[in-house]
Amino acid sequence: MMNAHIHIPKLRLGKTEIDVFPYWLGLLAAGIAFGLYGAFIVLRDGLQVTGLSNQVPWGLWISVDLSSISLGGSAFLFGVIVYLLRVKRFEAIGKLAVLLGFLGYSTAGMVLLFDLGQPLRFWHPVVFWQPHSLLWEVTMCVVLYLNVLLAELLPVILEHPIFHEHPWLTKFPILGKLFNLLHKLAHWLHSFGPVLAIAGLTLSLLHQASLGATYSVLAGRGMWFNQSAPVQFVISAMGGGTALLFFMGVIVFRVMRPGQVKDESLYDVARLAGGTTLLFIYLRMWDWAVANYYSFDRLVDMQTKALDTVAPFSASFWFGQVLLPLIGASVLLAAGKVKNFKVLMLSALLVVFSTVLLRWNYNFAGLIASITYDPFTPDIRINNYAPTIIEFAVATLVISYWLLMFTLAARFLPFSAHNEHH
Amino acid sequence: MNTQQTQPTPEQNNTSRRDFLKVAGGLAGAAGLAQFFSLQTLAVRDASSGGHGEGPQWGMLVDIDLCIGCNYCTYACQAVNNLAEDMRYNVVTTETTESGAEFFLSRPCMHCEEAPCVHVCPVGATYHRPDGIVTMDYDLCIGCRYCQVACPYDVRVFNWSDPVADSPRSPNFGVQEVPNRPRGVMEKCTFCEHRIDAGTERGLTPGVDEAATPACVVACPTGARVFGDLKDEHSPISVALHEAKVSLRLREDLSTSPRVYYIPPANMAEEG
Repeated sequence: MMNAHIHIPKLRLGKTEIDVFPYWLGLLAAGIAFGLYGAFIVLRDGLQVTGLSNQVPWGLWISVDLSSISLGGSAFLFGVIVYLLRVKRFEAIGKLAVLLGFLGYSTAGMVLLFDLGQPLRFWHPVVFWQPHSLLWEVTMCVVLYLNVLLAELLPVILEHPIFHEHPWLTKFPILGKLFNLLHKLAHWLHSFGPVLAIAGLTLSLLHQASLGATYSVLAGRGMWFNQSAPVQFVISAMGGGTALLFFMGVIVFRVMRPGQVKDESLYDVARLAGGTTLLFIYLRMWDWAVANYYSFDRLVDMQTKALDTVAPFSASFWFGQVLLPLIGASVLLAAGKVKNFKVLMLSALLVVFSTVLLRWNYNFAGLIASITYDPFTPDIRINNYAPTIIEFAVATLVISYWLLMFTLAARFLPFSAHNEHH
Repeated sequence: MNTQQTQPTPEQNNTSRRDFLKVAGGLAGAAGLAQFFSLQTLAVRDASSGGHGEGPQWGMLVDIDLCIGCNYCTYACQAVNNLAEDMRYNVVTTETTESGAEFFLSRPCMHCEEAPCVHVCPVGATYHRPDGIVTMDYDLCIGCRYCQVACPYDVRVFNWSDPVADSPRSPNFGVQEVPNRPRGVMEKCTFCEHRIDAGTERGLTPGVDEAATPACVVACPTGARVFGDLKDEHSPISVALHEAKVSLRLREDLSTSPRVYYIPPANMAEEG
C-alpha cells in the first residue's frame, strides 16, 4: 500500500499539460542561490550590510524567525493528539505536522544564525547559562525541541521505500546494515512517542510563551509591556500553525494522495484551527481593551498615535489581526458545512497571514516608536528601518529552504497512516 | 560533594551495593555537570541587581545648568575607547523643560542597579561588578542585541563594523586606553573601569584624582560632571548631591535605580 499513488498536480494550458515540478524546483534553486550570495556577504562584512541600527536592532530576520516558529506550532498539538490522546485518524496528518514543525524551527534557527553579531558563538547560551534571561530559555527550549522534532521526524523519513527496496541495499551491504540500524533507531524512537509528545508539549508551551514574554518584560518600551503577550503568542501559534497544517494537508493528502485521509479529518483540522483562532481573537480584544485602559498612560497613548502617523498601525490591527482572521476562522470552524476546499484554503491563508502580522507588528511597535528619556517633556521618537537587499536575500534563502524541503517531502514521502510495526 | 560519595551514611549501608553505585554515579554526574557549567562562576555573575557589594559604589552626577553642550565628554570617551565617529557611548542631546526652555542632556550609561540589559542577556555577557558598574565580557557576547532592545536609555552601542585603527578624536581628546572589541559585539560605557581599577591599585581616589576618574568627567571644561563613591559621604558626588537641593534620575518610573544623577535646571527647581 505504501507510496501506491502520488498524484502530481499539473498545470493545464489549453490542451497541453505541464508538469510544473521542475520549474518550481528551478525557481527555489534560484532563490537559494540569491540567498547564498546574501548569506556570504553578511558573514563576510557583518551586520553593517543590513538596515538595522542601534535604535532598531531587530528587523526582518527576527520577524521571519518569530513567524516560522509560530507556524510550526501544529507539531506539539498533533503530537499530543496522535501519541497521547491516540486519535488514530490523525496519524498521517500528525506526520505532516511533525514535518512542518521541524521546517519551522530549523528555518528559525538558520535565520537567527545570520542575525547574531558573532555567529560562531551561537552555542554560548547552551554552555554559559543565564537563567534570568527569557532569550536564554527560548534558546534552550528551541535547541531541545529541535532534537525532539528530529526524533519524531526520522521514522517519517525512513518510511520512504528507498530505505527498504533500493537495489543498492543488496549491492552495498554496508548501506543495508546502516539503514537497518536506522530503522531500529526509528522504531525505538517511535516507541517513545508519548514521552516525546509530552516533552514537545512542555518545551513548546514554554518557549512559545517566552517569545511573547521576551517583549512583554521590557517596561521601557511602553506598549510592549503587556502581560497577555505570552498567552497570545501560544494561542496564535496553535491557531496559525494548525491553519497552515490544514492548507498543506489539503495539498499533500487531498490533491496528491487522494483517499489517504478522509475529508472529515481535514475538516476537523480546519475546525481546530478556526476555534483556536477565534479564542485568540477574543483574547486579543480583551488585550486591546486593557491596553486602551492603560493608554491613560500618556506615553503609551502617544506611542500608538505616533505609530499611526508612520504606518496604518490601528488599521492593520483591526483589519489584519481582527477582521480577516475572524472571517477566516469562522469559515474554518464551519468547514463541515462549507465543504468547498478552495474557500477553506483561502480562509486558512487569512489566519496564517494574521499570525505572521501579529509577530511583525509586535516586533516593530516598540522599536519604531520609542519613548525618549527627557525628564521633563518625554516624547515619542520615530526611528527608521528599511530592510536592505541583503536582508531580503537571506530571508529568501530560508524561505526557499522551507519550501524546497516541503516540496521534496510532499513529492516523495509516503506519510502513510499505518506504521508497519503496529 | 566528594565526601558524600566516599563516606556513605548508615542508611546507604543498608541498601544494596547496586543502589549505592547508582546514587554515587548520580552525584558524580551532577558534580561533573556543575563543573562543566561552572555554576560557581554563574553564581558570582548572577549578581543581577547591583549595589549590594562591599566597598565603594560608583556614581556620577551631571549638573544640567553647568552643561554647555560642547560634547567634550563624548569626544574624550571616543578617544579613550577608540571609537569611530558614529559610535558614541555618551550622547548629548538638546531637550526642553515644560516651560519650553532648552537645555543639554548629557547621557552616559546609567549603570542601573536593576539594569534591564543585565536581566535579559542570554549568556551573562553583561553583568554587575561588585562596585555597581555594569560592564561587558566581550568574549561571551553573541551579539543578539537583546540588551539594546531592553535598555530604556538608548545607551547600548552595537559594533556594526570592524574597529577603527585610530579614533578621529585621538590624540586631541586622549589616546586609546582599552583594547579593541571585535565586530559584532555589544559595547557600552564602563565608567572607565580600567581607570578606576588601575587608579585604586595605586592608592588614587576615583572622582578626586584625574588618573582614576572617567575620561568624560576629566574632560568636562565646566565641571558639570562629578564622580565618586556614593557610599562615602565625603566623596565629591556625595557632597554635590547633598549641596544640591533637588536631584533626579532618568525614567525613575521604570524602577531601574540609575547610578547617574542630574541636577535639574535652576528655574525648574524653583518652579517645582
